[in-house]
Amino acid sequence: MKGEAQTDRDLLSRVPTLADTNPRKYNKRRRLIETFLAVGVPGSLIALWQLGFHYEWIDNRFYASPWEIVSSKKLREAELWSEIWTSVQRMLKGFFAGSLLGVLLGVLMGVSRLLRAALDSLLTALYTVPKLALIPVFVTLFGFGDLPRIALIAVTVFFFVWISTMSAIMGVEDGYREAALSFGANKWQIFRHVLFPGALPQIFVGLRIAAGVAVLMLIGVELVLASDGLGALIEKGRTLFLPELTYVGIAISALLGLTFTYLVRILGRVLVPWAPEDQTPNQN
Amino acid sequence: MRKHSCKIEAIEVEKVFSADSEDEVHALGPLNLQVQDGEFVCLVGPSGCGKSTFLRIVAGLLNPTTGRVDIGINPENPTPISMVFQDYGIYPWKTVEGNIRFGLEISGISKSRTKEVADHWLERMDLTAFASSYPDTLSGGMRQRVAIARALAVEPEILLMDEPFAALDAQLRQLLQDELLTIWQKEQRTVLFVTHSLEEAIVLGDRVIVMSSRPGKIVLDQKVPFERPRSPELRAQSDFNEFKNELWLCLKGEVEHYLERVNSVEGKIGSNNEG
Repeated sequence: MKGEAQTDRDLLSRVPTLADTNPRKYNKRRRLIETFLAVGVPGSLIALWQLGFHYEWIDNRFYASPWEIVSSKKLREAELWSEIWTSVQRMLKGFFAGSLLGVLLGVLMGVSRLLRAALDSLLTALYTVPKLALIPVFVTLFGFGDLPRIALIAVTVFFFVWISTMSAIMGVEDGYREAALSFGANKWQIFRHVLFPGALPQIFVGLRIAAGVAVLMLIGVELVLASDGLGALIEKGRTLFLPELTYVGIAISALLGLTFTYLVRILGRVLVPWAPEDQTPNQN
Repeated sequence: MRKHSCKIEAIEVEKVFSADSEDEVHALGPLNLQVQDGEFVCLVGPSGCGKSTFLRIVAGLLNPTTGRVDIGINPENPTPISMVFQDYGIYPWKTVEGNIRFGLEISGISKSRTKEVADHWLERMDLTAFASSYPDTLSGGMRQRVAIARALAVEPEILLMDEPFAALDAQLRQLLQDELLTIWQKEQRTVLFVTHSLEEAIVLGDRVIVMSSRPGKIVLDQKVPFERPRSPELRAQSDFNEFKNELWLCLKGEVEHYLERVNSVEGKIGSNNEG
């Protein structure tokens, strides 16, 4: 900050800037710039991509242009929307099952040293196993229906949520716990009034990461192990030599990931109003 | 080169905090203040009177909304101003020595010189035995010693202290006041010291400035009549208490204003809830 002040050789001056004299105008301008960047950066990359096709820097036999994706006939077929819906259902089911289990076990292990001792190294070892490698196991376990696909998403989500929940519960400051103890709170009361709300902001960080991971896993699973859904669509485009189809699938998964992560973030903001927001400007 | 009679000169400084919403908080000013080179100036005032805000403006952490603060410095000094914060502001991930070296490393002083200065301050603040300890293992008083050593190690021309002893117990507080007194009487830097305690202000300061409740203005600018070097026993003198009472009469009114306002705000909230 010091460097920003005007220096008149031996004189340092603290004077108002626009941000101080007219904060409303400054904030408005800043928001405008932020919106411009948020829209402009992806927008110009897409424009560059389109230009690449126009000037034939990119081979249109193997790749599709943004315009081809947007104007694809596929987008107007009812079949596509049912594919998307199939995928979204799988993802949501997997995400909810996985996060529920993750929060549950994370809380239990965060609270209990013994449970931690019993399960920590086991779960950590399992965590590192690439989940797609479990496909054969899951198919044997759950058959050929939707269940193994949902289970794979759930397992992936579980590990992210479990780790963040456990460390969040353990990270709640002792002072908060002690204050509750001094009022004679029992274990459940401590959990309900102190540990859980105290851990919630961190749990939501885990959920947000898991939301993105759920989309990753969804597409991965469907590529390998499904005849319908977005992943299957992407694969179909490749085998049928219809790049447009593949790119429609990719674009929709990207949008799906963006939307879902955003929704989880909004949910977090509603449920955890006391947590500092991501981009609140520093006040005093 | 312009000549400056004073080290810090605040001219019509005001600070208004405004969130994105409509409500604005007029925290400070207009405030005019001149601080001479080598002077120890204490700012006292009720909570929220903007004394810390003023300190932050001098430090360059905030800008004023209107007016200006001019600070005369030696352009060759890489760290002309340093600050001690109430909650220490020392880093838990650095050792005591690492914390003291921080400012020196930032200003790019040579390794050997850094070592020399750090050792000097470790010894001076009685921290040598804890050089490689982490702050988390230290008591509050020791942590604040680290913070003071860190601020002084860079040899600032101006030292800003924002209620540095507020979090300490009464005995420790007195001990650190005495230490600061000794150090300052030897080094004679310009100091701006924010405190809630009149006693602290009188023991340490050349001048005590009493500020009004929000928006903070100067209501009293009083020279402390006690000769330097002062000793800790000053606190027991009868004229010390007389002087303190005199200042308290002035400060009391401002604190009452502050309480009135707090109560009226609470009253409003209460009536809103009813309605």
